[in-house]
Amino acid sequence: MAPSRYVGILALVAGCLLPSGVHALWPIPHTLETGTTALTVSPFFYFDVQVEGAPLDLYEAVSQAQYYLANDKLGRLVVGRGANDTTALVGANTLSTLTLSLMSGATVEPIASEAVKPLGTRSEEYTLTIPADGSAATLVANSTLGLYRGLTTFNQLFYYYGGVTYTLLAPIAITDTPAYPFRGFALDTARNYYPVTDILRTLDAMSWVKINTFHWHITDSQSFPLEVAQYPELAINGAYSPQEVYTPSDVQYIIQYAGARGIDVLLEVDTPGHTSIIAATYPDYVACFDETPWATYANEPPAGQLRFALPEVVNFTASLLASIASTVPSSYFSTGGDELNTPCYTNDYPTQLQLNSTNTTLNDALNTFTLATHGALIAEGKTPVVWEEMVLDWNITLSNETIVMVWISSEDALAVAERGLRLVQAPSNYFYLDCGAGAWLGDDPTGNSWCDPFKTWSESYTFDPLANLTEAQYELVLGGEQLLWSEQSGPENLDPIVWPRAASSAEIFWSAQQPTGAPLNVTEALPRLQDLRFRMVQRGLKPISLQPYWCAIRPDACDLTA
Amino acid sequence: MAFFRYLIILPLIAGCLLPSGVQALWPIPTTLETGLTTLKISSAFYFDVQVEGAPSDLRDAVAQSQYYLENDKLGRLVVGRGANDTAAFATAMTLSKLTLFLANGAAVEPISSEAVKPLGTRSEEYALVIPADGSAATLTANSTLGLYRGLTTFNQLFYYYGGVTYTLLAPISIKDTPAYPFRGLGLDTSRHYYPVSDIQRTLDAMSWVKASINTFHWHITDSQSFPLEVAQYPELAIKGAYSPQEVYTASDVQYIVQYAAARGIDVMMEIDTPGHTAIMAAAYPEYVACFEASPWAFFSGEPPAGQLRFALPEVANFTASLLTNIAKTLPSHYFSTGGDEINKNCYTNDHPTQQQLKRTGMTLNGALDTFTQITHGALIAQGKTPVVWEEMALDWNVTLSNETIVMVWISSADAAALVEKGFRIIQAPSDYFYLDTGAGEWLGDNPTGSSGPFRTWSEAYTFDPLANLTEAQYELVFGGEQILWSEQSGPQNVDPIVWPRAASSAEIFWSGKQPTGAALNVAEALPRLHDVRYRMVQRGINAIPLQPQWCAFRPDACDMNA
Repeated sequence: MAPSRYVGILALVAGCLLPSGVHALWPIPHTLETGTTALTVSPFFYFDVQVEGAPLDLYEAVSQAQYYLANDKLGRLVVGRGANDTTALVGANTLSTLTLSLMSGATVEPIASEAVKPLGTRSEEYTLTIPADGSAATLVANSTLGLYRGLTTFNQLFYYYGGVTYTLLAPIAITDTPAYPFRGFALDTARNYYPVTDILRTLDAMSWVKINTFHWHITDSQSFPLEVAQYPELAINGAYSPQEVYTPSDVQYIIQYAGARGIDVLLEVDTPGHTSIIAATYPDYVACFDETPWATYANEPPAGQLRFALPEVVNFTASLLASIASTVPSSYFSTGGDELNTPCYTNDYPTQLQLNSTNTTLNDALNTFTLATHGALIAEGKTPVVWEEMVLDWNITLSNETIVMVWISSEDALAVAERGLRLVQAPSNYFYLDCGAGAWLGDDPTGNSWCDPFKTWSESYTFDPLANLTEAQYELVLGGEQLLWSEQSGPENLDPIVWPRAASSAEIFWSAQQPTGAPLNVTEALPRLQDLRFRMVQRGLKPISLQPYWCAIRPDACDLTA
Repeated sequence: MAFFRYLIILPLIAGCLLPSGVQALWPIPTTLETGLTTLKISSAFYFDVQVEGAPSDLRDAVAQSQYYLENDKLGRLVVGRGANDTAAFATAMTLSKLTLFLANGAAVEPISSEAVKPLGTRSEEYALVIPADGSAATLTANSTLGLYRGLTTFNQLFYYYGGVTYTLLAPISIKDTPAYPFRGLGLDTSRHYYPVSDIQRTLDAMSWVKASINTFHWHITDSQSFPLEVAQYPELAIKGAYSPQEVYTASDVQYIVQYAAARGIDVMMEIDTPGHTAIMAAAYPEYVACFEASPWAFFSGEPPAGQLRFALPEVANFTASLLTNIAKTLPSHYFSTGGDEINKNCYTNDHPTQQQLKRTGMTLNGALDTFTQITHGALIAQGKTPVVWEEMALDWNVTLSNETIVMVWISSADAAALVEKGFRIIQAPSDYFYLDTGAGEWLGDNPTGSSGPFRTWSEAYTFDPLANLTEAQYELVFGGEQILWSEQSGPQNVDPIVWPRAASSAEIFWSGKQPTGAALNVAEALPRLHDVRYRMVQRGINAIPLQPQWCAFRPDACDMNA
């Protein structure tokens, strides 16, 4: 197998210092060998797809790669932006072809099919070789998904100056494989709505850094923008407006768009909390709806949670979740389960009546509810995903397959792992992109955001996915994600609040370490992240500046102790 | 005079409770009377400019106002966005005309001439009357600038639903005059460059907050880049701009100044000296001490190190000539020479400086005094009033003209010390008004560094311009401004990081208090600020959401204690 061969060869040279020009790559590949020869991309450069029966989305990925190669026009981040490179480019060899091929015996499936396979069964690894002499570059993988990842890397290798697209680092040999199978980005589209085009743009940016899961927190207490064929009233009454809706065709389009970019869409319909707005359609199903003071009944306004103790609510929720899940290809579906407020039920007559008449506790009722809703999803072939409280705060029987998302604190991963459950690292103290914007509640001018402070890219980057875990527990960590909760965000600030920060976890969970085997390091990473950020700007995204431009073109000059 | 008649009538009814529909106005007018009658804008509505010899920028302002009236299409921020208002439309009267008058004896000058008059001599007050019976509305002022302010208010009064532009609050009577003459927004275009179109868009938004922001404080150069093209010193931009494209040409500056003035905005330029000048070394290496010395932290507040050798006579002369050459091209009466964060270590081992001090028997302070007298003297000779940062008055013993305006920035606590010295001040305290804080450390290799908390709109809004001052000192407070320093900002995030937060100081310094006489209050202000924010979005500004949309439609429902 080619990737293994390179692993063997490259280990011999992996100890050498990486030239500064490798700033371009994010996430940094598993192994990487570069030279010091200039190589220009021929004006007649083409991608030679040597894949029998190549699927349409692979061809589309190739044309996208061709487009980026021709249009990124990213100048090197040095003073002069590459003006000093021109002498080296005179007489340089020219690269005319990148040949894409699959390993013998690999099955040929669309990228979109590979992208939604169960975690651990996807093949994302690839080998990319670019000779210095101008002979054809080669990209080899075990799946079209691996080829897609390799194309993303290929596009990051080249700079532009004065009409010439080039690298100074030929020959280049890369073998790459992700350290963790789950690398996500989460977006809340309920507190404020995002038009489909904003989501598509975000999926593009995610694909550039090999993020493979779009965790779509699509509904919440404030709005229900998801149109569900069997329950149309939920969106009619629960969306902010008829225009602020995701129709079934919107959802399918987003899923297809994501799949073609190697991204699985993990849909979350948060239950039984975070459901207040369902009362607009099913008032009988929701306890403490719009109750005041809201702070007694909910973590944020409006109050209102599903009456999960009622059999009709259990059946409704199971049917709702299964109806939605049956339309999405992902093997995963999140039922949420965070921040369930118990005072909401204390004086809720229907709930208390039911508990008394059946002589069950609230916890047992939640257990019954969860078994029913998860059972319905499992029957649809889905693996349930939940927030950590469902494991740590409630005594509930969950399938061993259940994936648990850690969010309250990075400290909580250990307790989840001790329960033997697989987990996704989404800790607010490292990965919440919304923190630090101050209190958004009215009449609270001195309030802070609950998860203060703002998480810089570098603070996120220092997250250790395996901290406090025993080696035996490591395999339970499927990966992680950064998240944007949208109380104070919307299409207006989506790009700058997410990018390039969300690339931090992309590298943590793809690369995990430097090619040398050294741990990831913020000082090493910054120039590469600058490069990524400037490439994003070239592609029309609006990521924030990490430093004054003066610093961006002078790596390390603005380090704390420089 | 029409204007004063309103002054007398309106106090009689000013004590009444404002209906919730007044959410539209920001900043809130001095006095305001509204009714409960629905009034629609006629499809044939027009502005009747009864101003003899009306200047073309007043006609442009009217055309802009007409455009906003037709295209804002802002739905009321209530559930249904105004769907419930339609019943009232059928019988509603129709407004066909707003007549613009100048008061008897008022001179007719272009808005752009009025906008750059000395502080305290501009006439920004106006009276706006909209009868409920459909008869002509009237806007009266003492200057075209006052008419411009009134037009901005007029545009904030109307909502849109189903093809109808309307208010529910006729009759409306407003008399308005600013509490403070200086209401600014500061923008640093040196750490990152902003294209002219971004500055224009920002000037538009400044003019919308009821034209309240009347000063664009343009921190145009700093140590990182010198994007200003100066005819007499072309090398400064050729060698000091980030790139030949990232330059403000002389015609760009004139265009921006004119664009601003037509919107009632004075452009106060700052060339920060003698610190914050490292990049001048690219053109004049012999004029700059400790250029790029390391560790930078010993020599400078941020990298790169480098400050003008102000003790040298040739540097004092060069600087005076540079400042006057820039200042003379600008119509503003004000010019800032900066003066913040001068680092003494930079000069300790600087041979040319020490040699000069030794030869003349001068102290560093004495040399700075000489330098300042030369540079300020040159500006005063040009008819400009110098503006400086607080250190020039508090940290150094420098002779400043009594006319000098001092900007408070380090802390709001420093205002008292400045007024005790008799200086006129502008409130720009970092602890309330810095828009860049809260984004974390931007220096490399410092993942746990902090930049202090983010200043929410509401925290900024609680600023008291007169805190700790005696009544006799109040008149020394000219106003204030919020500021965006651009280490971590650029065109990608300028809208969301500035808006709607920068509207907070606009209301503090225009309104001073509520029309009832009560102090400004964040709970009262939030629904109105939502309104401003949504109107900005309608006009194409990417202003951040302040809350989930659920809250924006339900005033007060998301207050801390609701």
